[in-house]
Amino acid sequence: MTTISVSAMTKKLVSAMTTLSVSAMILASTSMFVLVETVSAQNVDLGTEAQREAGRQIYELKCAHCHASDGAGDPVMSTLLRPAPRDFTASTFKFRTTASGELPSDEDIKQSIRNGMPYTAMPPWPSLSEKEVTNLMYFIKTFSTDFAGVFGEVVPLEMPDPPGMSDESITRGREVYVENQCADCHGDQGRGDGKSAPTLEDSWNYPIRAADLTKRWAFRGGSSRSDIFRTFTTGLDGSPMPSFDIQPEEDQWNLVDYVYSLSRDNAGYGTVVTAHTVSDPIDLSAGAASFDGIKPVLFPIVGQIIEPGRAFFPGVNAVEVRALVSPSTVSFMLQWNDMSADRAGKTGPSLPAPDREAEPDTSITYADAVAIQFPTDVSAGAEQPYFIFGDRKLSADIWFADLATSSATHYVGSGADRIEVSGPDLAMSATFDAGQWTVIFSRARTEENHAAFKEGTFVPIAFSVWDGFSRERGSRRGLTTWYYLYVDVAEKPSPVLPMMAWGFATLLLGLGTTFLVRRKFGNTESDRG
Amino acid sequence: MNILVILAVVVVMFGLRFLKPNALAWAAIWWIGVYLVFRYGVDPPMPTSILGMFMFIISLVLVAYVTAANDRIREVADTLIAFFVNPEYKVALGLTLVLLPLLVAFQVYSGMSGQPQAPLLARTIHPPPPGSISYQGKQIDLLTVHNPFRGLEQSDPTVFEAHVAGGRAVYYQNCVYCHGDNMEGDGFFAHGFNPIPANFQDPTTIAMLQESYLFWRIAKGAPGLPSESTPWLSAMPAWETFLSEEEIWEVILFIYDYTEQRPRVSEEVH
Repeated sequence: MTTISVSAMTKKLVSAMTTLSVSAMILASTSMFVLVETVSAQNVDLGTEAQREAGRQIYELKCAHCHASDGAGDPVMSTLLRPAPRDFTASTFKFRTTASGELPSDEDIKQSIRNGMPYTAMPPWPSLSEKEVTNLMYFIKTFSTDFAGVFGEVVPLEMPDPPGMSDESITRGREVYVENQCADCHGDQGRGDGKSAPTLEDSWNYPIRAADLTKRWAFRGGSSRSDIFRTFTTGLDGSPMPSFDIQPEEDQWNLVDYVYSLSRDNAGYGTVVTAHTVSDPIDLSAGAASFDGIKPVLFPIVGQIIEPGRAFFPGVNAVEVRALVSPSTVSFMLQWNDMSADRAGKTGPSLPAPDREAEPDTSITYADAVAIQFPTDVSAGAEQPYFIFGDRKLSADIWFADLATSSATHYVGSGADRIEVSGPDLAMSATFDAGQWTVIFSRARTEENHAAFKEGTFVPIAFSVWDGFSRERGSRRGLTTWYYLYVDVAEKPSPVLPMMAWGFATLLLGLGTTFLVRRKFGNTESDRG
Repeated sequence: MNILVILAVVVVMFGLRFLKPNALAWAAIWWIGVYLVFRYGVDPPMPTSILGMFMFIISLVLVAYVTAANDRIREVADTLIAFFVNPEYKVALGLTLVLLPLLVAFQVYSGMSGQPQAPLLARTIHPPPPGSISYQGKQIDLLTVHNPFRGLEQSDPTVFEAHVAGGRAVYYQNCVYCHGDNMEGDGFFAHGFNPIPANFQDPTTIAMLQESYLFWRIAKGAPGLPSESTPWLSAMPAWETFLSEEEIWEVILFIYDYTEQRPRVSEEVH
């Protein structure tokens, strides 16, 4: 209560001062106006009326459809986006250089607009000029009276330059990670699967996920070591991510280094996964060990928003794939991070899912599942079946794994609404460990079942992942479009002989040309000078 | 466009006017300059296959230029002969004779042991639309159909604005995931699709198309593309499943309004 009255009073004061500064502007020179403005606003810069109005116009055009004209977040878009659009009237901001609970600095708001929040609906706005971003910032500050009050006067925390990173700092960082119970939300291996993760909500009671620390490129506050430092020293206000004051100070950077070490610089999504050759079929009971030493390819997963039952915020955002061929079998290992293993409930590629589920029947639960897809007829060449489980003309083979029953079914799809069981000719194994599913498929490699996987060929391949926690089933799922599987050749021709042949031929050509040119023109060389 | 690269190349080309190198050096510098512009001056980068095609054409042009006049042919021939015969080029000739075969050998080796490249599939980007489509059982003649709300822009701007606002809600609840906030085809699902979603800010997309074309592409999506557009890699949904006819016309109004572009109007034959 005190807070509100104080800030309201300050606001009145500020508006009085603004009036004063306007009259000062009329009377005095420009330089004097700047002086008055600085003094009167008590270091609270709310911009000019013209700046706020210019900002409002940009806001209406570019921002209001999600954040709403009143700044409180559009109610419809809040059901379609996760994280939900920020409610500016609460004056709670994720990205800040100020202490937790404090208002952001002007520069913080501008940075949020410029950079956006990766992997959310908030895009970066490089198309807006510096002036436009500034005006927008002034307008956003009008949604809460706090900015005009005493709290509007913020002091950004000092952000030190990052010291060097070492194996020791990473090792010590792991200890800091454990001591500060980061694993409660982010999980032991940082995969966003902590025991509290499924219960997390933001300040507006919308469900929110703990960050998957193995995917630095998707960090909302940025992925550099300085960004990570700022995120945990200031917290992400409005989300369950608190601020941490870790002592001694070296441990702050140790924690940064540990988190930083959990992922590579960027996603590095692939487009081709190679099936490497092995002499014997893999032993499913050996699990992931069969694929040791094979570099995985990461494919991005996005929501299925094409068929009814749309998934606007799929629970899984990427899948890692490895593949092996032996003379008689073909095997795939799929790995993805999941907040929880949902092993109870139904699933299936054609389970009906309503397009928008306002009041889900929580008595029904859904299990996690995964599927690989190939064209039924790989010889069709450039013509490929529709990537949403085939079409009437060309069908798609769907290798589906139900992770509740740990069983695989081979379906053939001629469209999302026409999926039929084709046969139980698939073997699979599935394990869930520290927030990561590992599912291995294996199938006989024969001509009859359209699974010859001929050496040296490219076979279209696509993936679907269902997250039971997000009530995904049937058409509500995460998916990829067609990528390629390259079937490696067992005996690669050595490049040494062709290399030597071509090199030698070039040498002969060079010597021959020199000889001929010299014989023909050598004598006249002195004449030509 | 990478202005710095283009500027640097232009400066060098301009400098050639004063340095007056011989015809062979001149052709070589031009070839390299054009390559640099295509390879580093264009953004987004052009595909290697297209670059190869352009450079082939440029090579032909340069050969044609050099061989078009006798004095230029002689200049080139003399330079080449001097390189093979003249003692002062002995070291350079020896190096060339040794390094060139090594380079060829290296190319062959790396070409045979590199990563497999996915096949490139050619497809038509703006295929011709069918004459008419069936929209939820209703026949729509694409040659004559007009946006029913377009006329309101002149006759009743207030009602027109209401339809644009309706289109805005449709866009952000359905299209923004792929086509993006700023309509540049960079929504937060865009990285999962290939081909990438259409960029409406690009003047070569919606500004070159009639509204009836957009209606067809929105209503029928990728599954409605004609056979020359296979493979159906496009993830564009058939929006007739989700949206009413009116909503599609409204979202078309909004897309043009937001990007400040005008639809191409049909040329009436009288």
